[in-house]
Amino acid sequence: MNAVTPMKPWKTPLLRVLFFVVGTIKWFQSGLKDLSFIHFARWVIVRRDQFPHVKAEQPREDLRYDYLFFFSNFNGTWNQYIDAFSAVLSSGLNAIWSGSEKFPGSVPVTPFKDYIRVVQFDTDYYYNCYPKATTNDVKAALRVQDELDEFRKTSQTLPPEQFKKAFQEFLVKVQADLGSTGVAPVGT
Amino acid sequence: MANESGQVYGLTILSPIKEEQRLDIDHATQLRWYLCSLPKDHTSPFAKINSTYLARLVVLDDVVFVGHPACEEHLKSRYLIFETNFDGDLDGYLTRMAKEVPEFVDKVWQHCVGYPGLNNRHEFIRYMKQCQVTTTFFFADVNDHTVQQTLTALQTQSALAHFVEKTQGKPPEELQKLFGTFLSHLDAAKPPLPGDRGEKFPSEDRPHD
Repeated sequence: MNAVTPMKPWKTPLLRVLFFVVGTIKWFQSGLKDLSFIHFARWVIVRRDQFPHVKAEQPREDLRYDYLFFFSNFNGTWNQYIDAFSAVLSSGLNAIWSGSEKFPGSVPVTPFKDYIRVVQFDTDYYYNCYPKATTNDVKAALRVQDELDEFRKTSQTLPPEQFKKAFQEFLVKVQADLGSTGVAPVGT
Repeated sequence: MANESGQVYGLTILSPIKEEQRLDIDHATQLRWYLCSLPKDHTSPFAKINSTYLARLVVLDDVVFVGHPACEEHLKSRYLIFETNFDGDLDGYLTRMAKEVPEFVDKVWQHCVGYPGLNNRHEFIRYMKQCQVTTTFFFADVNDHTVQQTLTALQTQSALAHFVEKTQGKPPEELQKLFGTFLSHLDAAKPPLPGDRGEKFPSEDRPHD
């Protein structure tokens, strides 16, 4: 998902301070972490005089607004994503986008979705190295890998009876993380 | 640094797209056509640069007018947005792009103003950095593993689930022996292909699924 919103330039430093605080104090990211369906997301402020100008023949931009770009890589549907954002992170979203022109707030969700439809733009090419894995799949797989690495180190020399007991204990630890990956069901 | 989170680098590039009135089909459209034709699976150019988690290319036609009383304004150039998330450092990644997928890079950035080509790799890297915009805030949910480690873990997870299902109720001696075989197969397995969408995960072959 991609979105771009105009901001009055005097608001830009305030938003930078907010992002600095969120980036520095990890507790503020716990909401994003807890949602656990965003692989990567980024906010990029491009000031009105900072659009790349690489050659004299390229006309210079002449803008009154700074622009806030947002790029998100999430699993699930657009509606699930926006609904969850609105329900769980409304204060955070309001803090980030309140400086953007005509931002209606993230609650209630209908005007919020209307706004996103206006400021969103489409992706022309998208690549994902693990197209069948959700964020939770990735986290679970990494936990399984760690536990398996540990188990193989400690279990190799055990006699069979003890091995089976240790294997069962290992399974208890990883069983919740053994779901399979695949194409997600269609959500509504 | 705002472009980085743990081991992950978030690169954002805005390259101005050429505008030539004499062309029947403008550069932005040609670029979109080319991007449409690119594979998105394990044959993608980004699968070759196998430190890429997720990447996107977007033609930004203009900024957005959100309605009055906001001002309506327009960009003078269209921009190609290149957004990518990878493990490693920026120079190494750009060098890999130039070395490993030169045809792709040429076909995309030939439509952009000031693209110097790939004859001089340092010039290419300088150009890309000139077009880079600094990420203000970058969030990476998992940021302490490489792409290959993550793909291997997904392969392990799937294989282990399959193994557990097959070996339920086996006596201790047999279970231990089978587990040894399982580990050998796992160690000998080919590294997973980035971007692979094939039906190759054993868990998906289970007849009752």
